[in-house]
Amino acid sequence: MEGQSWQLDNPILGLVVIALTFLLFYVVGYISNRKSSSAKDLYVGGANVGAITNGLAMAATYMSLATFLGITALILQLQVPFIMLWIQLILAIPLITIIYGTSLRRMGAFSPTHFIRDRYGVTASIIAALFMILVSIMYALGQMIGIAVTFETLLGIPYVTGLFIFGFIIVGYITIGGMAGATNNAAIQMVIIALMFILPLGAIMKAIGAEGWYFPPLLYADMVPAMLESLPTFFDYQFSPKWYFSIIPALTIGALGLPHLAMRVYTASSLKSARSAMVWFAFILGLVFSATYAMGFVGVFATATQGITISEADADKLTIILNLVYNPEWVTALVIAGAISAGLSTLSGNLLAIGALISQDIIATLKPNISQRVSLRIGFVAIFLGGIASILLAIEPPAFLVVSILWAFGLAGVTNAPLIIVGVWWKEANKFGAIAASVVGGIIYIVVSPFVFPSIVLTGHSVTDGMGLSGAMLAVPISFILLIVVSYITNRIPGLASKLTKQSDIELIERIHGWTDIKSYRYNSTIGAGITVLISAGVAIWALMPWGM
Amino acid sequence: MKAYKKEVQFTIWMTLAFILVGNVGLIFSIFPTDAMIFGFPAMYIVPILMGWFGVFILTLVAGKIGNRIDDEIDRENESLSESDEVKGV
Repeated sequence: MEGQSWQLDNPILGLVVIALTFLLFYVVGYISNRKSSSAKDLYVGGANVGAITNGLAMAATYMSLATFLGITALILQLQVPFIMLWIQLILAIPLITIIYGTSLRRMGAFSPTHFIRDRYGVTASIIAALFMILVSIMYALGQMIGIAVTFETLLGIPYVTGLFIFGFIIVGYITIGGMAGATNNAAIQMVIIALMFILPLGAIMKAIGAEGWYFPPLLYADMVPAMLESLPTFFDYQFSPKWYFSIIPALTIGALGLPHLAMRVYTASSLKSARSAMVWFAFILGLVFSATYAMGFVGVFATATQGITISEADADKLTIILNLVYNPEWVTALVIAGAISAGLSTLSGNLLAIGALISQDIIATLKPNISQRVSLRIGFVAIFLGGIASILLAIEPPAFLVVSILWAFGLAGVTNAPLIIVGVWWKEANKFGAIAASVVGGIIYIVVSPFVFPSIVLTGHSVTDGMGLSGAMLAVPISFILLIVVSYITNRIPGLASKLTKQSDIELIERIHGWTDIKSYRYNSTIGAGITVLISAGVAIWALMPWGM
Repeated sequence: MKAYKKEVQFTIWMTLAFILVGNVGLIFSIFPTDAMIFGFPAMYIVPILMGWFGVFILTLVAGKIGNRIDDEIDRENESLSESDEVKGV
């Protein structure tokens, strides 16, 4: 089957299914958003979204087009190490919720940078917002490319035509829908993603002869002996413990800095509801993630034992190819609709984050006296322009799809996460520390990435450097160290006291943790800060030592 | 003081528990095993099961304790404002 072009024989079928899906999203978006009268309604759905809807929406926002296109390709390429890497991504919402989400929800923040502005001042928040716009655009870009590639390869629509037509339809829907529309739609999209991924997978497994086809996420052990026989290395860990450790700073901490994820916590109707949403998120995401690993396994199994050949260029389309081979065409059309839904929900999260960053965190920060109505209008324009920017950037797509998304995690982990985590839990953190951490950490991360100076990298292993694993293992701890040490020193320089807002910082921290009074012993541990610096220094030095790859 | 200590300790231990449960692959990379569970190599299926059900159970626990700590903070706030009122009289 080498060189085969994988395409629906009947593209009209695919287009009709996708058109119906879009119609549903437009209607839900329009109905949900008729009530959007303020910036709060637009970005956090009036902070009034129920736990199940929110939990499903969190999962849909997180499950990007990568679930359908990218992950299975990397499982095909990296096999089990990539599965081990992906598993911990489920920690994002639970960790955001317990470490800072509820505090920022209590504060009434629209976005993480909103907190950074109140905590560290205008300069630090604008630097953080600019980095976050870069992160969100990288992320949105990945979705845009994926959507256009899906239309190009499966329906025969030329890449650029598909990009513009469907790009504009999607951007229009998000601009019209706002967060309330996006949240309701994202919940529907999560159900579509789960059904369109898992049911067809069951059918594929049945066709291959697997006994556990009725519950694909976990019941494929009967295929293991044949897999071990034809591909004995599939289950090998391949890399050292250092590689597995580097996942924590790059992706676990990285996810804590992603603006579009944190914003989902603020849409909750109450703190209790935010915590219930986290439970729903973990359940549904675990289900779909496990199905993804099963799809990757079945893909490798099919290529190793069933004589299916998938060229490297087609690796991203593994899920769709398996459906084309084993399922009827109308099923593949539904799977494509599921893939588009996954891209759409993530893209709407990204674009809303860009809207909030530009209108709330940059323009409203520089011009605080603009009216609610103008601010809302700027938000709509910013969402639209963010969408257009990602469409234009996608005209000449980079060669990678998931890799660029995962690299964006690391950038968020370096430039944003330390500012929020330390800012919420340590009163001494100040704007000098925050600016130093964000700027120096961000620059180091970008310099050691293979995208700017290909010769300056830490491992020389292209996927490890490209996904930002090695860069984040160095830059994230440096960012924590700079934030703590620079803050500690500058707080003790009398000449700088007038430039700091120590009292209001203290009041803010007490308030967002739920306290109505102020106590000096709270959130003020020098020992805790010292231990963080020591651990961070150890990790950064370890990152600089040879990786042996 | 009590609720504050609980809040800090809860956050630290819960964070470490989540990171551990989500990164069982790291543990197996240090201590490899050839054991099989449910027909799969343990090094493959245990991280997947922990990354789903382990994390799910932890979210239930974290939600319950988090809500309880919020209530305790509210109670400490109330007792504080009551004692202020007494002082004021």
